[in-house]
Amino acid sequence: MKLAVVVQRYGADINGGAELHARYVAEHLAQHARVEVLTTCARDYVTWRDEYPAGIEQVNGVPVRRFRVDHERDVNAFARWSGRVFGEQHSYLDELKWLDAEGPKSSSLLTHLRSAQSDYDYVIFFSYRYYHAYHGVKAVSSRAILVPTAERDEAIGLGISPRIFRGVRALMYNSPEEKRLIESVSHNQDAPGVVVGIGSEIPERPMPERFRQKFGITGRFALYVGRIDQNKGCSELFSFFLSGLQALPRGLRLVLIGKENLPVPEHPRIHHLGFLDDQDKFDALAAADLLVMPSYYESLSMVALEAWALGKPVLANGRCEVLRGQCIRSRAGLYYETQAEFIETLRAIAESRRLNAAFAANGREFFRQNYAWPVIEQKYLDVLARLREDDARQAAVQGMDPEPGWLAKRRKALPPASDVLAELPSGPVLN
Amino acid sequence: MADFNIRTDAVDVEQIMRQIRARIQSKRGVDYTEEQIQELANVKLERFLDPKGVRSDLVEQFKRARDRKLEPFQPEQYSVDANDLYGSSKAPVRLLRKLFRPILKMLLNANRLVQVLHQQSELNRVYEKQFHLLREKNQQRDEVDTLYYELVHNLVLELTRVGIENRNLKMRLESLSSRMDFDERRARALETVVQYRPGSGPSREAQPARPRQDDRPYPQPQPQQPGAGATLAFQPAPGQPTTGEAGSGEQAGESSTARRRRRRRRGRRGGRGRTPGETTAIDTAGTEIGSPADSATPPHGDPTGDAALDDGFDNDEGPAEAGHYQDDSGDDDEPDPSAQ
Repeated sequence: MKLAVVVQRYGADINGGAELHARYVAEHLAQHARVEVLTTCARDYVTWRDEYPAGIEQVNGVPVRRFRVDHERDVNAFARWSGRVFGEQHSYLDELKWLDAEGPKSSSLLTHLRSAQSDYDYVIFFSYRYYHAYHGVKAVSSRAILVPTAERDEAIGLGISPRIFRGVRALMYNSPEEKRLIESVSHNQDAPGVVVGIGSEIPERPMPERFRQKFGITGRFALYVGRIDQNKGCSELFSFFLSGLQALPRGLRLVLIGKENLPVPEHPRIHHLGFLDDQDKFDALAAADLLVMPSYYESLSMVALEAWALGKPVLANGRCEVLRGQCIRSRAGLYYETQAEFIETLRAIAESRRLNAAFAANGREFFRQNYAWPVIEQKYLDVLARLREDDARQAAVQGMDPEPGWLAKRRKALPPASDVLAELPSGPVLN
Repeated sequence: MADFNIRTDAVDVEQIMRQIRARIQSKRGVDYTEEQIQELANVKLERFLDPKGVRSDLVEQFKRARDRKLEPFQPEQYSVDANDLYGSSKAPVRLLRKLFRPILKMLLNANRLVQVLHQQSELNRVYEKQFHLLREKNQQRDEVDTLYYELVHNLVLELTRVGIENRNLKMRLESLSSRMDFDERRARALETVVQYRPGSGPSREAQPARPRQDDRPYPQPQPQQPGAGATLAFQPAPGQPTTGEAGSGEQAGESSTARRRRRRRRGRRGGRGRTPGETTAIDTAGTEIGSPADSATPPHGDPTGDAALDDGFDNDEGPAEAGHYQDDSGDDDEPDPSAQ
């Protein structure tokens, strides 16, 4: 079996959520099938500037075919189109222009897909919201499998999104919340959809003491791993932590790992260590008392899964339905919405040894049952086997809905995406 | 913080969150939303902390309002009759008016005019009277306003003071409850550490450690043992001879002075509060000094009072505990009758 993995960026040094997800899946599926990655030469997700050379290269043993990007992203144009399609009544054509402005537009990649589609049994697309997903699925819908990595943002309320979800052969969801969100917006229950998520390579013996010695961290601490950014809820985290210092467990520090896009407050109990490699990250997780996930929007938090794998409880932002659902389902973490809840939950986790022990055991079990690599690989292989059976039976393939006609495409009949999003169900999926 | 009763296979995160929210609600008293709390907090802070929000000329404005007196109102009183209408100081005019009077009377009803003017004059008189009454009332009101001003001013001061005190008390309460939590946890931790083995009862009794509350018999009068132990345990009432006194009057005197010093020291400590560590230290001292024999209630004096405390008696029971804290916060300058 030959598989193609199509993703907007790809590289060993790219740590974005969907891109890392794609790399891990490609590398693990490469053990069961011939896998080729089709991607762009872009490295920066803001500009989509060509930085890698076009052509084929090997990344961790997987062949990667890179294509040039037609144009870099014009941030102002993208913002203008976003404002129109998210906030105003608009046309289908407006959405296509928005998609073009978002990028990364690579005509050569699409040309290759169309011409070489028979070389691949199935094409796995990552991230529904980018140019390659809509036009790629449109080009090879009979072979398309989608890993949507959808979050609860306005893009899902666009008119083009349901066409993608309905146009693929199968969907590999990250969480039950994502599945419900997509099903309710696109009514694609006919397409096989499996909640898969992603695994992680957890070291056998992380060394917490090595981390403490290396970075001079003593005592108990809550750990945050990720981009230190307003959108990730970090400013709220700082605010809650600093204004609740007196009520927090005595001596508990906040240690931050990740690139700083937001100024980190200077305080003796807050330590920012910058971007660390995987070994340091896992050692830090092993040394921490708990992991804090303040993000409002996540389709799946890999670092939360890694924390659970290492037996560490997670304190998540309760307004992120995915994280909240994961905490409830894993029985290995708590969530907060207000400052009072932040303090009380932090205290509950940090001070109750019994609760902590129960969370640790549950987290390990949750990871082992759902996110260990053999489990993830098997889910992918099951879906591929099912599609092969359907192909062998020559079952009818629905394909992507035809685009509207010339006039219909220009008619401003689509509601603002934010209005569509507001109508969608929210909250964690408990069953 | 109260621990959670958890089994690994029975962790219900939502249930834990409900417990946490209930705890937060009970702390707050009223179930405000976070936005409401923020709003309330912002309003109060703005009023109290932002000088722009305070009317700095409030007193001046009040004084100005007080200075704004009613202007004297004394309308000219007049009376009108037919002669006023037709009369004149000039004779030719008076003559002409008299001549044309029938014609004028034919053209208009002058009597009605006179009547209305007369009524108006009466009304003026009534209004003037009422105005004087109003003025008197206003003067009285000014005096009352001054009192109101003082009253409101004092109320604001008192309210502010009460608010601050309330906040302090809340903080103190939180501090005490956290200490209590700490003690509870410590007690639980100690309970889990102690290993009870079957058949170890006698050896525990033989240990000099403080008797547990459950193990301790009810206090019963016991015969006083002569010697230092009796001196420590018993505080004589004024003028009463004691066993200890018979032993050594000087020793009793020293003991009394030492007791006073100790009580003064405790009094001073009582002012700044006591940490759990300090309490432990005192308890430990009590364990060292006191003996089971010492714990007997003295024949004279209050068993919860100074005598038991000064002798290092460490009683975990309620009244003694209360006596303990009373003693700490009491006024040491007052003469101690038991010491005399």
